[in-house]
Amino acid sequence: MKQKAGVSELLRAYGTIFAGILIVIVFSVMRPDAFFTMGNLVNITRQISLLVIIALGATLVMSVEEFDLSVGALASLGGVIGAKMAVAGAPIFLCFIAPVVICFAIGFVNGWIVTKFRVLSFITTLAMSTILGGFTFWFTGGATVFQDIPKSFTYVGTKTVLGAPILSIIMLLLTVVFWFVMRHTAFGRKLYAIGGNEAASQVSGINVKKYKNLAFALCASLAALTGVLMASRLGSAHPTGGDGLFLQSYAAAFLGRTVFREGVPNIWGTFVGAAILGVLANGLTILQVPTFMQDLLTGCIIILAVVVQKIGRGDAK
Amino acid sequence: MLLQTKKLCKQFGGMYALKDIDFEIAEGEIHGLVGENGAGKSTLIKILTGVYSLDSGEVWWNGSPVRIENPRQSRDIGINVIHQDRNLIPAFSGVENVYLGMDYEKKAGFAVDWAKMKARVEAVMRELKVEIDLSLPASALSPPQRTLLEIVRAMMTECRLLILDEPTASLTDKEAEMLFETIGKLKARGTAILYVTHRMDEIFRLTDRITVFKNGQSAGTVRTADVDKDAIISMMTDNWVSETLTVSRKYGEVLLDAEHIASRDGIVKDASLTVRAGEILGVFGLGGSGRTELLECIYGYRPAEKGSVTLCGRQIAHPSPGGSIKNGMVLICEDRRGKALVGSLSVKQNTVLSTIDSYARFGVVNERKELSDTREKIEALSIKTEGPNQTVLQLSGGNQQKVVFAKALMSRPKVLLCDEPTQAVDVKTRAEIHKLLRRLADAGSAVVFVSSDLKEVLEATDNVQVMAGGRTKERFVNDGLTAEQVLACCYAN
Repeated sequence: MKQKAGVSELLRAYGTIFAGILIVIVFSVMRPDAFFTMGNLVNITRQISLLVIIALGATLVMSVEEFDLSVGALASLGGVIGAKMAVAGAPIFLCFIAPVVICFAIGFVNGWIVTKFRVLSFITTLAMSTILGGFTFWFTGGATVFQDIPKSFTYVGTKTVLGAPILSIIMLLLTVVFWFVMRHTAFGRKLYAIGGNEAASQVSGINVKKYKNLAFALCASLAALTGVLMASRLGSAHPTGGDGLFLQSYAAAFLGRTVFREGVPNIWGTFVGAAILGVLANGLTILQVPTFMQDLLTGCIIILAVVVQKIGRGDAK
Repeated sequence: MLLQTKKLCKQFGGMYALKDIDFEIAEGEIHGLVGENGAGKSTLIKILTGVYSLDSGEVWWNGSPVRIENPRQSRDIGINVIHQDRNLIPAFSGVENVYLGMDYEKKAGFAVDWAKMKARVEAVMRELKVEIDLSLPASALSPPQRTLLEIVRAMMTECRLLILDEPTASLTDKEAEMLFETIGKLKARGTAILYVTHRMDEIFRLTDRITVFKNGQSAGTVRTADVDKDAIISMMTDNWVSETLTVSRKYGEVLLDAEHIASRDGIVKDASLTVRAGEILGVFGLGGSGRTELLECIYGYRPAEKGSVTLCGRQIAHPSPGGSIKNGMVLICEDRRGKALVGSLSVKQNTVLSTIDSYARFGVVNERKELSDTREKIEALSIKTEGPNQTVLQLSGGNQQKVVFAKALMSRPKVLLCDEPTQAVDVKTRAEIHKLLRRLADAGSAVVFVSSDLKEVLEATDNVQVMAGGRTKERFVNDGLTAEQVLACCYAN
């Protein structure tokens, strides 16, 4: 059954990428001076870096057919922990590592509750998100952490290497690493198998619980890393600073699902999804479109992409 | 006659599921319907209840022909069915469940009149002498209470024919008594009852007449008083006799020994089996005997309550799928799409699913080796596919099953648990699978072969272990064994 590579087929498979390119062209034509410049493109990579990193985690959890709604709260917590440690004079690398390790454990608890008690991940992580929000508030007293943050803490978030922002480099590295992990390692294969058919994976001897727990733990770690990087970029950590990334990260991951033919969560798809969201935000800001219009447009584009994908797969009724 | 069918036929894909069925049931009659797995009992029920349409033939109701085109019509003329998988909503109360699909009583045209609804349900319950607390949700009721509640529901409307499909499958003897009492009341009211079961003692205790189905045809209707169990069993089967062994097989050491297995969900109650190297052990049981569940317990997929599993001489304390595979035992699941294959993945990824770790060095999969091994299996099992990267669901049923075998063989198992391995595969693949299993046994593996097709079990196995009601019964040497012998054991108390 060779499939004909007709125009409609191509549109279905790569429609989202075409749409992304189209958006870039439209902005470039409208504001060639401000949008399509090297400076702005580099700027965009920095702007999307945090979203990409947190969305990579969401993609891992989605690949085992679960959800982690606590990524936003985890990012907030991660940022606050990192910033507080920096203020307290901890070694800078520890300020980045410690939140990641702590949130790895929290993510593992998320997974453990889901797999051990067969609770919906939706509910478990929603509750966890609330708990973490409360904890972060108590931890900070509700105030932004910004006083006495050492300069060295903000290097990673603000400096560039050979003209490339360090944040962008980290984003690219992580994307490549997780692409490799999902595509070429036994670990990634098992995650996709579990997402495809949990019962069959279990019968095939895959330790479903263990791998789901790991997916949750890695997702939480990436969220925490996102939070610290955000604090490093801003030079401050707000107790709800990462919350806004939660919906965005799933928007990127869902957009990413539509990018390649398989219709499954995939790393480069998520990258493209985040990039489209980032380009939209950047371009619309340059065009001085009000924020509410940006939200309207972004939402419509996500729905459109998902619907087109469903029609393409013949799932629509 | 209340209901008559004349020359009823139903085909699925060119095969007759029912052929020329003449069947009748009178008012106030309890009519037993028996037959082996796949004899056509369910198909008849589904035609009478409007789930399937008939291909040819007629259904007469109350002396005139009727067309039953959907379940609603069937209920409207007075036919109700109660399945073994009960149709109750767990969180709903008795009254709510009884009124499912019926219009609620209303006060002033819109407010639900709970009191009136409850009174109506209670009136029916009094008539049938059924006692259930209607305020409890269905999930809090015992299994027989749930069945009774369904009967009450059926009786709320004008029900003239009640079909009971294996109503006692999950009931204890005492619980079944409650049900029998109610059935007696219904009969006295003039309701006709079509009673479908594997349990012979119930058939002889309750029914007035018995109809026997065999391979989609009616083998006859008899008055219960005129026959005994052996007569019914001989009507059910063509009495195949397995071929006498021409070569006497030599078996090696015991590779799998499962003792007194009981599953936590209570479906398997006390089952033991032993297979030796070089042996194909058939496990036969009627629907609901716990065959599938026993294999899943041994394999470690279904939690076991009791019992011990010894694999290749080593006692396995806590069986788990991963451990079983490592120790040389694989399970070919009956539910191919649900439990055996990951439909969205490719032939290759399914083939290496349970052995993926052996392809990985520091976690990175050696894709070249993976591909060549898959190619080799595609060749060896002659799997028809575009290539290793084709999505497995695009393959035909027979070829999908071969992929399941390919996956199983990748771990070089010593013990193969095969649950309905030839289900929904074409005749050619079926023969290939039989040959493959024999080849594996000859090479020193032990094979457990579960099938609900008795003829196939007699064809393909060396010894036959019978299961009934979650327990293993007699074990036969398949040498001149007859279908009657096996069935008699299934139906023995």
